[in-house]
Amino acid sequence: MTKIIVNGREVEADPQKPLIAACHEHGEHVPHYCYHPGLSVVGSCRICQVEVKQGEMPARVVAACRTPVAEGMVVNTESQGAHDSRRECLEFLLKNHPLDCPICDKAGECTLQDYSFQEAQAEGRTSEPRRKLEKRKDLGDVILLDQERCILCSRCVRFMDEVPKSPQLCISGRGSHSVVETWQDAPLTGNYQGNLADVCPVGALTLKDFRFQARVWNLTRVPSTCSECSRGCSISVEVLRDGEVKRMRPRPNEDVNGYWMCDHGRFSEGELNRSDRMGPAAMRNDAGQLEAADPHDALRVVRNLLSIQSNALFLASPYLTLEEGEAFSQLAKSCSTQAAFFSPEPNELGDDVLHTGDPCPNRRGLQEAGLKPMDSEEWAAASASADCVLLVGERLLDMLGDEALDALPTAQRLVVMECRTSNHPAIDIAMGVPNRVERSGTWINVDGTPGAIRAARSAPQGVRTIVDLLGSLTSASGQPEEALSS
Amino acid sequence: MTHETYLLDRSKLADSHTLEVARADGAYGALQKVFESSMSPESVVGEVKKSGLRGRGGAGFPTGLKWSFMPNHETDSRTRYMAVNADESEPGTCKDRILMREDPHCLIEGCLIAAFAMRLDAVYIYVRGEYRLPYDRMQAALDEARAAGIVGDNILGSGYSCEIHMHKGAGAYICGEETGLMESLEGKRGHPRPKPPFPAGFGLWGQPTTVNNVESIFNVPFILARGADWFRTMGTETSPGNFLCGISGHVERPGVYEVPLGISARTILEDLAGGIWKGRSLKAWFPGGSSTGVLPADMLDTSMDHDSVKAAGSMFGTGAMIILDETASVVRSALVLARFYEHESCGQCSQCREGTEWQEQIINRLLSGQGKSGDVELLVDLSKGMFPGKTICALSDAAAIPVLAAIKYFREEFEACISSPEEILA
Repeated sequence: MTKIIVNGREVEADPQKPLIAACHEHGEHVPHYCYHPGLSVVGSCRICQVEVKQGEMPARVVAACRTPVAEGMVVNTESQGAHDSRRECLEFLLKNHPLDCPICDKAGECTLQDYSFQEAQAEGRTSEPRRKLEKRKDLGDVILLDQERCILCSRCVRFMDEVPKSPQLCISGRGSHSVVETWQDAPLTGNYQGNLADVCPVGALTLKDFRFQARVWNLTRVPSTCSECSRGCSISVEVLRDGEVKRMRPRPNEDVNGYWMCDHGRFSEGELNRSDRMGPAAMRNDAGQLEAADPHDALRVVRNLLSIQSNALFLASPYLTLEEGEAFSQLAKSCSTQAAFFSPEPNELGDDVLHTGDPCPNRRGLQEAGLKPMDSEEWAAASASADCVLLVGERLLDMLGDEALDALPTAQRLVVMECRTSNHPAIDIAMGVPNRVERSGTWINVDGTPGAIRAARSAPQGVRTIVDLLGSLTSASGQPEEALSS
Repeated sequence: MTHETYLLDRSKLADSHTLEVARADGAYGALQKVFESSMSPESVVGEVKKSGLRGRGGAGFPTGLKWSFMPNHETDSRTRYMAVNADESEPGTCKDRILMREDPHCLIEGCLIAAFAMRLDAVYIYVRGEYRLPYDRMQAALDEARAAGIVGDNILGSGYSCEIHMHKGAGAYICGEETGLMESLEGKRGHPRPKPPFPAGFGLWGQPTTVNNVESIFNVPFILARGADWFRTMGTETSPGNFLCGISGHVERPGVYEVPLGISARTILEDLAGGIWKGRSLKAWFPGGSSTGVLPADMLDTSMDHDSVKAAGSMFGTGAMIILDETASVVRSALVLARFYEHESCGQCSQCREGTEWQEQIINRLLSGQGKSGDVELLVDLSKGMFPGKTICALSDAAAIPVLAAIKYFREEFEACISSPEEILA
């Protein structure tokens, strides 16, 4: 490590990294556009100017992203010279910028906007006509390009080249005629396009999915973990005040996902916002209809069922957390049976970037909790002979499919704890549970790294957590109802 | 005025570009001497250092010192390259094409001596795409030299081998910037690379590389043949040797003249180029190509060497003088240059991409009678924001400097565009 002085403070800096990284690591923010810690460094935007003094040489203003750290270097990120340089640079960047912040999805998290405010450049001095370029260039299913807003930092080009290693973007034209493009306007392809909207420091590359959906300052960001494969990318779940999940974005985590996530995970919010949520409890009435019931009553009936079963099948959703898995395992044990989790087939999305192709985000965690994986065939065999089936966790009904329930023996009792409603005639008792943005817990990813999921909103009214429901069953299972109620 | 010459002597011979004529005139004698006298590579570098030769591509960096930046071959076994910058694109500069067209063997000899001195594996000559005849002559000379055992394996029986390759540029000024040139040679867009790392440590394909101008390399055989002391008898203490002055603009006899460094600009203009054309008088002159700040007529006695021109507030550059007579509009010449730099900016750095466009827009407005009060101040202010050292390469500096110099000496012309636009339009 190299010792340098940043704003009067002696700090340790990694000599393999540029000066800007050292400044950021030690909490001194240096504005930047083209620099991104997850991409190669080009040093072209020239906004990251800081004042550096080395040895006897007079202090000079340099681009921090292209300056290697050197022992004894004295850095001032806030000198007048550095601020002047940045202000000049911003003036150039704003010269052709359309300043359409009021209708720009990036407004509020746009660093061009932020730095302009910081450097107090209130008035532009240019009266020249601004460049007229394409404002709505379609780059495929995911991304829309506004060439007028683009500041040509080339982050997007480098991202496609370096991360999914799928070079599809380029800067064509020269000088002031430069524009970001795809070759012959071909649509972008691949599972990592969404990251382009994150790396874009301005509103040039925006998500079609998020276009005009929310002002970002109205979003609450909750750190969580992606559910769509066993990589378990660290993400931020962003919800509006009404609880609707508007966006999911990667959260930097060097151990797991770097700075990225795949589109498959990013755009899985549809599942989270569905309106057909299961209520706290429903039981099949005499007329054969599932009817809303008091959850206490429902739990009592389940307890009874469990106490009289002789061959119960306990199957969990692969989205159960470690904590829920442990509770499930314990309940199964108290009923003298083995808990299992549904193990879906690997999908074709696996790649050597992030996606593992295993849709089960907590395979390792659930196995650690004592659950055994169960595939469709094993389920078919086990469920045919069981006298009581307990299905717990979100998306399990969808994964099994209606046909799987159709095939169940009619005498069998089926208890389902799910997020969504179902009117399947095989279900005897249904109880609502929170989905993965309404509860907290831990998933363990493919490499054994734990990832926390955090509640970003509350569960529907009256819906209790899985740990809570399973716990109240475990404490009483195997005992007669009378003992419990006394 | 008479002075010793050497650079253009051979080119006065008929068919000087052929191996036969060149050899009869002593071409490859210096190379032979290096091999026969068993000079070590280090002593060749030492001789060039001693000569005080300064790069003729614009920056005037000492050539021998640049060569000595190449890493030690004993501790660094990577492939070593030299790229000869023959992408002569600076407006006003037209010296290298004469050298390549008329005396290609001298350049090849210089390349081979440099290659020996720096223990290079290969040399690339990057020729401006528009230079068809110079390119063809260079290629023909290279073929002849290769056939004669001068280029390639076991050069002149010395046991030393080095290959020389030709490359044709595709027309971008920025590819004349040394790192842009290397990117272009690698088959990429000519986008200059940030420094550090410098080419000597991380150059072509990441290998140690030296980039030298044609005229710099052209001087090398003479230094080795006649000695560093002889070389220092010409020019000044800090800028020894002769240089090729390409003089253009409003002069009677524009052309390329070989003169010693330190000669006064007036001597070049009046004695060699025949003075201002049509009997007019001088208004302004660029000392060394379009990127060097314009100077007024009363500074014509400035000595043409690196330090003197710098002291006068401009740059020696490539020594290509551009002359404006009394009828020329400095504002219009500023527009021509601003358009050039706007067109040639690679677009990587914000200051250069936007700044060159902005300069061009403002000057264009001034000349269209659309100037507004404050425009000149804005032009000065934004140009100051473009340099020094604020961008990856010096194109931004090169765009800002001429505009600032023009306003420094001829501000009233710019102001007049605003105060009396009807005169401009007339």
